Amino acid sequence: MTEARRQTLLASIPASFDTGPDWLRALRGRAAATLREKGLPTKRTEAWRFTPVRSLVDSEFSQYEEGVPTLVSAVPEGVTVRGLAEVLESQPELLQSRLDFGGAPTHFAALNTALFRDGLWIDVPGGAVVEAPIEISHASPSSSEPGVVYPRVLITAGEGAELTLIETYAGGRAGQLSNSVVEVELGRNAKMNHVRVHENAGLQIGRVDVRQDADSGYRSTVVTLGGALLRFDVRCLLQGKGAECQLDGAYLTDGDDHVDHHTLVEHQAPHCRSGQTYRGIVSGKSTAVFDGVVVVHRDAQKTEAHQENRNLLLSDTATIHTKPHLEIDADDVICSHGATVGALDEDQLFYLRARGVPEDFALAMLTYAFVESIVDRMSHEPTRARMREALLSRIPHGDEIREVT
Amino acid sequence: MLKIEDLHVEVDGKPILKGINLEIEAGQVHAIMGPNGSGKSTLAYVLAGREGYEVTKGSVLYKGQDLLEMAPELRAAEGIFLGFQYPVAIPGVSNIYFLKAALNAIRKHRGEDPLDAIDFMKLSKTKAALVQLPDELTKRSVNDGFSGGEKKRNEIYQMAMLEPSLAVLDETDSGLDIDALKVVAQGVNGLRGPDRAMLVITHYQRLLDYIVPDVVHVLINGQIVRTGDKELAKKLEREGYSEVRGASQL
Repeated sequence: MTEARRQTLLASIPASFDTGPDWLRALRGRAAATLREKGLPTKRTEAWRFTPVRSLVDSEFSQYEEGVPTLVSAVPEGVTVRGLAEVLESQPELLQSRLDFGGAPTHFAALNTALFRDGLWIDVPGGAVVEAPIEISHASPSSSEPGVVYPRVLITAGEGAELTLIETYAGGRAGQLSNSVVEVELGRNAKMNHVRVHENAGLQIGRVDVRQDADSGYRSTVVTLGGALLRFDVRCLLQGKGAECQLDGAYLTDGDDHVDHHTLVEHQAPHCRSGQTYRGIVSGKSTAVFDGVVVVHRDAQKTEAHQENRNLLLSDTATIHTKPHLEIDADDVICSHGATVGALDEDQLFYLRARGVPEDFALAMLTYAFVESIVDRMSHEPTRARMREALLSRIPHGDEIREVT
Repeated sequence: MLKIEDLHVEVDGKPILKGINLEIEAGQVHAIMGPNGSGKSTLAYVLAGREGYEVTKGSVLYKGQDLLEMAPELRAAEGIFLGFQYPVAIPGVSNIYFLKAALNAIRKHRGEDPLDAIDFMKLSKTKAALVQLPDELTKRSVNDGFSGGEKKRNEIYQMAMLEPSLAVLDETDSGLDIDALKVVAQGVNGLRGPDRAMLVITHYQRLLDYIVPDVVHVLINGQIVRTGDKELAKKLEREGYSEVRGASQL
């Protein structure tokens, strides 16, 4: 408790919340109380063991006025996009029990709940099948002063609705922290492709919470191209029978980057399927963390869950922490998990060189192939092409690879 | 074209090749036969420049240059091709795209302009037809999910694309049924020419019925114990390596 009090980042939490609907004030109050009691993570917090945030939580950040994610695509027909602040003002009942549906948040997510001012609500009503991707941008604030933003996004998809959402998180100057919460609610048989691209991330901490009704499908693909300090927690709650989720990620780190991906899939209903495939290329003095948990509840019979994290360690000074794990309380399940950390395959490298491909180009080809396989699984070709392009822009010899592919 | 003198090679400190002498002229096809573990594949890898093979003595001159000093890709650029016994699969790297990178690197080394996409595809179609490799396989990831026969045809297709001066074919016949063997051999024979030499490594004489060698060497326990013409291969087939081994010890 005393330690929590000392955390500077908590200083901006008000003593009481006086605006907004009662239920929101209660949410914010609970989040604030949790933070006062438990604080933000310290080096003793297990889930944050490899991602030290001490200097961050002890820094002065003022909250920016701007910082609401912006919609950068057209709004496809049938989709409603509204500002959260406006809805909370005019029709707050529409959001009740939708914000923080995953239960009382802790740590940074609680801080977001306590302090977010505005955000976006994207609603795709039942039966609406939206082909064109909806794209939102979390651009860094234009101010050069240090500060923090609390982006908040809610996505609701009704029965049988389908959508693709692309989120880009770009830039972030030194001393600018983005602490976001994205919540996704998928109705029966709804399908969502969720793409996140983190490019040159500064200080980015975020949570994605997904709850899925029966037979819904959620596919998340996250491409992380460096980051001074990036930590994202993705949680999928498979609440309805036959729901499926697939969480894929590709990360490239170099220099002093620190990139941490946590996933949690909770199989709460029977006959659900989940898969996770994260692949990273870790170079320089960077650190990459993958921590994935699959929890299979007792009633979630006939669960199928797979988890895989593979890493290419390209330098002696880079560090990888990987920990995929399963907690299974049901007995009729098919589950697998695995992690690898290694160098490029010498046999493959020699094969390419023996045919005449110069060594550095051959290395680049194999490196690209390793992460491109994540992007290759995406269903929307224009998005796939864009993600490939993003990877090529980061891989050595990307231009030459682009020429031959 | 190739002159190997007193070549000694160790792997993990264990002597594998113990004084190989071999000279191949342009236009010739040499066969190296030998039982398992005799050092055949080691010789192939040393010529292609694989790491992990330590040359403790001897020399290899290729077109008058010190081959052992050259990186694998430089050897390829200078016209050496190794057809692998076990071609590795490379998921995510398509045949056609790495070959284009390889071919254009080789062309650059020779001072030639890169092939444009259209000319490259034309060339690829022609060469794939030579070994009856379906066009679709040239576009798939290298050897990924290929059958044994498809892998070997893919090797010869790549050889045809790269047009090497010296092709070293390591057990190109292994894992092939007779029909596939004929197709592969036909592909190889189509590439024979006055400027090109080949070193065909095989365990069995069968392949040499289709790729008829000018010279046959018998490699046993890291040394060439006999050298002869194609009749030597037939004799080996009849009498087995033990006869030759016995004779070599006299």
